[in-house]
Amino acid sequence: MSQTWVLGQRALREAVRTPEALLPTLFIPLFFLVVNVGQAGKIFPAASTSFLHGQGYGAFQLPSSLLLAGSFGSAALFLVEDIEGGYFDKLRASPVPRTAIVLGRLIAESVKGLFIATGLVALALIFGISIASGPAGFVILIALTALWSVVFVGFMQLIALKTRSAAATQSAGLVFFPLLFLTPNFVPRHLLTKPMEVAATLNPVTYVMEAVRSLILQDFVWGSILRGFAVVAVLGAVMIALNVRLIQRYD
Amino acid sequence: MDDVASVAERRPPGDEATGTAAAVQAEALVKHYGGRSGVIEAVRGVDLRVEAGEVFGFLGPNGAGKSTTMRMLTTLLSITSGSARVAGVDVAREPDAVRRRIGVALQEAGLDPRQTGRELLVLQGRLFDLSPREAATRAEELLALVELEEAADRRIKGYSGGMKRRLDLASALVHEPEVLFLDEPTTGLDPASRLTIWDEVRRINQRGTTVFLTTQYLEEADALCDRLAIIDDGRIVREGTPAGLKSELRERRGLASDPTLDDVFLDATGRTRDRAAGDVQEVAA
Repeated sequence: MSQTWVLGQRALREAVRTPEALLPTLFIPLFFLVVNVGQAGKIFPAASTSFLHGQGYGAFQLPSSLLLAGSFGSAALFLVEDIEGGYFDKLRASPVPRTAIVLGRLIAESVKGLFIATGLVALALIFGISIASGPAGFVILIALTALWSVVFVGFMQLIALKTRSAAATQSAGLVFFPLLFLTPNFVPRHLLTKPMEVAATLNPVTYVMEAVRSLILQDFVWGSILRGFAVVAVLGAVMIALNVRLIQRYD
Repeated sequence: MDDVASVAERRPPGDEATGTAAAVQAEALVKHYGGRSGVIEAVRGVDLRVEAGEVFGFLGPNGAGKSTTMRMLTTLLSITSGSARVAGVDVAREPDAVRRRIGVALQEAGLDPRQTGRELLVLQGRLFDLSPREAATRAEELLALVELEEAADRRIKGYSGGMKRRLDLASALVHEPEVLFLDEPTTGLDPASRLTIWDEVRRINQRGTTVFLTTQYLEEADALCDRLAIIDDGRIVREGTPAGLKSELRERRGLASDPTLDDVFLDATGRTRDRAAGDVQEVAA
């Protein structure tokens, strides 16, 4: 465990010392939030739109921005740098458990995810969005967002380990956008057309988004919250297992 | 820093008693890669024996199988067939036990440019189970050894090529390995930095560490190595002491004066000086 933490600290130093990689993860989700609210806000007035539970459309859109912020996966690009620069081989030639090599980066990503999500929600609060579930709900939604970022960077690390290419890894990260647009991103699931509703129901991102959204718009809707955590737990376990397997078989 | 005795103490029991264990032993080592154009036979049955305490040079043209062999011996590549033991431990069966006994400095100087030299060495120490205090002390010792104390708290990305190589060497020594693998440790360095690395390698070897190095510089092999092997097209084509190999060539060819190691290399790999100048960079060193 100490080796995992040591590698996690190293990955955190790496992130802090590369602010140019951190800033877009805050700026781009904010940009999407502003643009989406600007385009569709008037269609859904708070007073007459029941699914907004009395808040503005920005509160409905905030989960998309939070999940987008958690889906940049810059840690996977740092991993490609390690591979290209030879440091990854240095780690592999050390008696470090392969799980520690994977978990070190993922722990760092979760800490980074916590800070970025907190920053985004803090900005949202300034612009009048409130968290209906209160401080405890705030903590839960930040934790869920951070866990999602671990899942997604786990996926991107798989691409990094398989391709060893920064270009391929970066391109793979774009898969989040189709996933995002196949969620109830603009309206709740029951208002989607049938094919979109089926697609959203099959899309795991939907359940994470609905869990985060319920914490912002409503009080604790435990069914929704638990589904969100179940999705990140299952996907997270799958990603960790696949990452470890790839490192063990890395030639 | 350990002395000769303390490195020797950590060797598996029975080495001296039986006289059978070597620092590195490979038998019929083979590596095949699956490529788009079919199977590539990178290493085709290498037999090697490096005795404890030796500086062993592994030479060959580009693509001959040097780095592939070294990567198999250091657990970084799977072995297609054959077997290898390093510091008395089977590489394929107990890779973690091998990793605890070896130090590795690869061609790319595997360093993290965003860390400082000190941070990198402390981290490496922690990965080898040193406590934070032990790792800090060890980092200090190694920084002194490779004369990087002044640059210790600067980010590695600002280091020169020579400084990076020295730091990489230091990081391979954190856990006082029994066998040190160096893959082309001086490639790309200026002559002064190259001589500094040579001094470090000699000093490390005098402290009891076996050194296995690949190089494309034959003068380096001549200056540093007790014995060497030349690999070509995945097979060992010559093995012996530098003096012995030169003497063998002189006798076989009936030469009037001693040939150089370059001549031995060209003879072993079937290359001519003309061809070497055109497509084999190694012998131009």
